[in-house]
Order: sequence, then structure tokens, then C-alpha cells
Amino acid sequence: MINDLKTIMTTLGASSREDAIGDKLSEMIRPYVDEVCKDPLGNVIAVKRGKANDPQKVMFCAHMDEIGFVVTFIQDDGLVRVSSVGYIDYIAASNHRVRFENGAVGVLVPEGKTEAKDLRQEKFYVDLGVKSRREAERKVKIGETGAIESTLVKLGGKRYSGRPFDDRIGCYILVEAAKLLKKPENDIYFVFSVQEEVGCRGSRTASFTVRPDIGIAVDVTPSGDVVNPGTNLCVKLGGGAAIKVKDNSVMCDQALVRFITDLAEEKKIAHQTEVLTYGGTDASSMQTVAGGSRAGGISIPIRFCHSPNEMIDMGDVEACIKLVAAVAEAKRI
Amino acid sequence: MAKGLQLLEKLCQAFGPTSCEYEVADLICEELQGKYDEHTVDFIGDHVFRIKGKTDRKLMLSAHMDEVGLMISAIDEHGYIYFQPVGGFDVKVLCGRKLFVGDYGKEKISGLIASKAIHQQSWEERGKATPINKMYIDIGAKSKEDAEKYVSVGDYAVFDSDFIRFGDGMIKGKAIDDRIGCAVLCDIINYIHENKITPDFDLYFCFTVREEVGRSGAVVTANRIKPDMALVLEATAVGDIAGTPAHKRVADTGKGPTVSFMDHGTAYRSEMIDFAMKLGRDNDIPCQLKRYVSGGNDAGHIHKSSGGVKTVAVSCPTRYIHSASCVFNEADYDSMYRLARQIALCPVSETPVK
Repeated sequence: MINDLKTIMTTLGASSREDAIGDKLSEMIRPYVDEVCKDPLGNVIAVKRGKANDPQKVMFCAHMDEIGFVVTFIQDDGLVRVSSVGYIDYIAASNHRVRFENGAVGVLVPEGKTEAKDLRQEKFYVDLGVKSRREAERKVKIGETGAIESTLVKLGGKRYSGRPFDDRIGCYILVEAAKLLKKPENDIYFVFSVQEEVGCRGSRTASFTVRPDIGIAVDVTPSGDVVNPGTNLCVKLGGGAAIKVKDNSVMCDQALVRFITDLAEEKKIAHQTEVLTYGGTDASSMQTVAGGSRAGGISIPIRFCHSPNEMIDMGDVEACIKLVAAVAEAKRI
Repeated sequence: MAKGLQLLEKLCQAFGPTSCEYEVADLICEELQGKYDEHTVDFIGDHVFRIKGKTDRKLMLSAHMDEVGLMISAIDEHGYIYFQPVGGFDVKVLCGRKLFVGDYGKEKISGLIASKAIHQQSWEERGKATPINKMYIDIGAKSKEDAEKYVSVGDYAVFDSDFIRFGDGMIKGKAIDDRIGCAVLCDIINYIHENKITPDFDLYFCFTVREEVGRSGAVVTANRIKPDMALVLEATAVGDIAGTPAHKRVADTGKGPTVSFMDHGTAYRSEMIDFAMKLGRDNDIPCQLKRYVSGGNDAGHIHKSSGGVKTVAVSCPTRYIHSASCVFNEADYDSMYRLARQIALCPVSETPVK
């Protein structure tokens, strides 16, 4: 199990470069579904057909892209300028190793004498340890993407530190939930979406193709149990699957929130309510694309999101797997 | 001057701010008369010219007709005219500029954006840009009544700026963004017509509206056509100008059109970037990667339309974009045209949508 998670975590895939991780996830989920296909933007859409005469279409969506960097310029001295792909916290990213698509590794560092308050994208460059532009060009190309190196380290209890849990942990949950499915009533779509980190783009086109009745985003949500969280967040790490009520991109369907909550109660799955005061997820696009759908979210609590050392609790992950499977097996939503 | 550039001059001189693109569309319709299989105009004014292909795979080629402009919002008792920007402006490029004021089907009159002479500026005002709500257009009217004979609230204004050649192959004009894309599309249609070519792709040449305000006609067009692949032709801001460090120059004028890997609207798929760059290399067409993440264009809407569209953006490097004096290199026009033509006429089997 943890080996699968390791594979999912360590396969590089910044937004728009998800083919490698998409192929791996396709292979992992294929034995447990009826069909898997890839759309023009690279979304992986897997479906398990339901046995009901009039099945609902239930779409679970976890994004497989990660935040990262794209090479914009290679200087004569071989140092490489990059631009953010998605939201990067440069204070957190500063002085970490970056791995690029073809395997080259470098260190992301700010220009000398940059004060902490000035740590912005423009100040950063990647040092590949080469001496000239020619050498650098053998390692990376303009337009090539990279990301802070992936890690997965076990801490105390069921907690893990690493990246990118956002949202590979959601992808992992979908694969594991698919394994639990027996013969669902409804058509269950597991979508591994692209380009969430740059504005929920992939889930738009996937939703257009699937036209779900119910759309559920399976993504991480920041937990508020850290020192001085800055804003009041009710979610706690280890508190169970977080059932989304809102974030900054979506107001979830109230009846769906109720339904998922009741189901968690009935099946005795650890759960909590999520009210997120910022951020956005694929739930927003599932809700509004084409004719729209009833949308919600089952979220995984996370600490230090978008940093090189995010933290999750496997107890929450197990609860999310059970809850996704329970919703997928439900008769009528 | 090459034929395409002559057309470009006419298109640039046309009066076509956002949602008032009719004059540009009229010129394009006149130019393309009888050279296409099908012509449709949708409810917001997008013009689509179809040239049927050997296959039913659809390639959407898109350029927007609108330009940044101003909209008249009020006329005061002195006959001075106040305005709102339509599209993204740096206020500093407005001060003291000559304009044409009017609307489609209405006579355009000259005006200029007034700027207080340095003699009358307070010490606080000196050296600072006038905020846009303090600027006004002077059309030389005697009074409000006099001004209202020529101008109504809701009319538009665009820059009055000549299309001229200067220096080593450089051209200056207004609205290069994106009449240059429109001219390239017309040139490709002319080429196909003159050489009686049946392309492999079913080609949809789309002249779209309203790009400059972000609510683009390309959304409507793309959702209607549902293309398999899309090519967006644009003008892109470049920083090969004084005081810009090398890594922020974006691209260089004179080194061919840019192919984007990422901008604020689109993260392009690498197969599309590689496809365009390879066509350039194989056909000895100069082209360059856009080396900075900035701006956005119709690709942002097109690639997300319906079930998703594989999209590539090819742009002409243009200095001082969104000003009265945009500057580009005429060799880049030629390279952009040749690269776009190669993409348009590429056999489906040699593209990423095979």
C-alpha cells in the first residue's frame, strides 16, 4: 500500500505535464474499473458502470498535477531562471532542491542579499551546478518544468511528512476506493484531473465530457490546529475525513453535504465538517460546467500545504477511502 | 510592401475597439470574398470562414479583431469628454495622445487627451501620471451642446496613429495586437485560394471579438465549432528594450514569432509546443520560445472549451504593445505567416491529434 503511495508521490507532474503520472494512475486503477480514457488535456477518466437501470453519474475528482516551476531563461553563467507553476510560497521553497522532467537536479536559491520580506519569484534562480549556458542546456530546456523534490517520511503515529500530498494523496484515495467497490448501483467516475493548481482547468473539460449528476472533489484542506493559523479553520489533523461545506470557489450542495455526513455517521467513519475561508478546488468547475451538477468535497486534512514538507495523518486517509467507497456504493444520492 | 502587410495597414487603421469590431470585420469580409466554403457570424459578432478539408478533423485558427480603446462615459458643461478604458491600459501612454472618437457607422472626429501644461501643474502633480478619472478628451467643442452634436455617451475612442516603416525593417502602428493575427489568417486563406489547395484539416478561420476585456468571443466560437486542435495567433509584449535584464526580455524582435509554453491563461501541452517548434525548424522558419510567463490570450478560453482542445499560441514579438505606437519587425510577420501556414496545411497524421 505504502509502495503505491510512494510511486504516486514521486512521479513528477507539474501542471500541464501530467502524462507520466496519468499513465501510472491509469495502470493502477484499470483492474478495478470498466474503462479508462484520457482526454485532450490529459485528464484520466476511469468509469465503473453501475447496475441500476437509471444510474446516476457520480464523479470523484482528484487532481494529479503538482505545483512547480517552469524554466524561462538560461543565463550565460549557466544559472537558470524559473517562473512559478501554481502558487509557490517562496519562503518555504527557498534553498530546496528542484528536480526537472528529464531528471536534472538543482537548488532553488534567492539572489544574494535578498531580505526575507523580498523573497519573490523574480529573486530566485536554480543552480544546476554547471559552469556555462551550454552545460545547462544539456540538462534543462526552456519551457521544461520541475518541482521541489518529492519526499515521504514516516513521523510519529500515523503521520507522514513529505510532498506533494496535494493532491496525490487524493489520487491514492481514489485508487484505493476503487479497489473496495463491488457492484455499485450508479456509474462511478474516478477522474484524475490536470491543471488544478493553475485554476481548476482540467476538471472543467473532464466535467464537460462526463456530465456528472454528482461531483465530489477529493482534495486536501488546510487544518487549523497549528500555531497561530492566521485565520480560523475548523479542520483538525487526525479528525477524520473532512466533509466540505464551502471554500472560496464553491458553496457545496446542502443536501449532498447532509447525505455524505449521514452516511459517515451510519458507517461509523471518522469525519468532521470543513468550512474553508480561502482556496479553491475542482468542486467549483464540476458544479458549473455544462448543465452543472450537485457538487461537494471529501477532503484530507493537511498541515503546511504547498510547502516542501506537507503533513498528513494516515488515519484521515483511511477514513476518506472508506467514505468515498461508501458514497460510491450508495443507492441513490 | 508585401500584400499581407498592405492588408495589415488597412486593418490597423480601422476603428475596432472591443465590442465594436464591425469595421474590421467589414474589411476582412471584403478581402475574403469568394475564397471560402462557408461563412458564419454569431450573435456577438465572431466571423468564421470555413475551408473544407480532406478529413473531418477540425483545426480552429483564431485571431481577435478588437483593439484596446476608450469608452465615452460623460460630457461636461465645457464640452470636455470623460472616458473609461476598454481593455488594459497603462495610463502613462494616454496623456497628450491624438484620438478618433465615434462609433460604427458614424463619422469619426478628432480629439486629444488633454494634459495640463507643466506651467500649471502643482509641485505634487509634477513627475506623476495623471489618474485616468482626471483625464479628459478635448474635441475643440464650445459647449456641452456643441460636443453632443458629434459625440454621445457610449461612443468609443481609439488612437489616431499612422502605420509607418522606420529603421531596419521595423513597422510602427496601433492595434498590431491583434490585427497582425487577422492579417496572417487572411494571407493563409489567400494562399490556399490562389494555389487551389485542399487542406487535410477542416479549417475554421475565426476572427473573434472581445479578447481585450477577457470575456472572449473565442469561448463562444470554440464551444460552437468544437475543434480537435487550435492555433491562436497573437501579438506578444516583448522586453528587448532599454533597461530590461536579459531574463525578463520575453523574446527578441527580428528572431521570428514566439511559441508560448505558459502564460497566465494557459499551460500549453509540451507535444503542442514541440510540434510548432519542429515545424519551424524543419522548414527553416525562424521561431523562438517566449521566455517569460506573462499575459494571456484566447488560448486560455479555447483549450478549456467543451471537452478540451489541444492548443498552441504563435505570436509576433511586439514592443510597446497596448500603446499608440506598437513596433514589430516585418521579417517576423513573414515568419509568423509561414509558420502558421505550415500548421494550417499540416497533414493530420503528423500532428498531436492524429
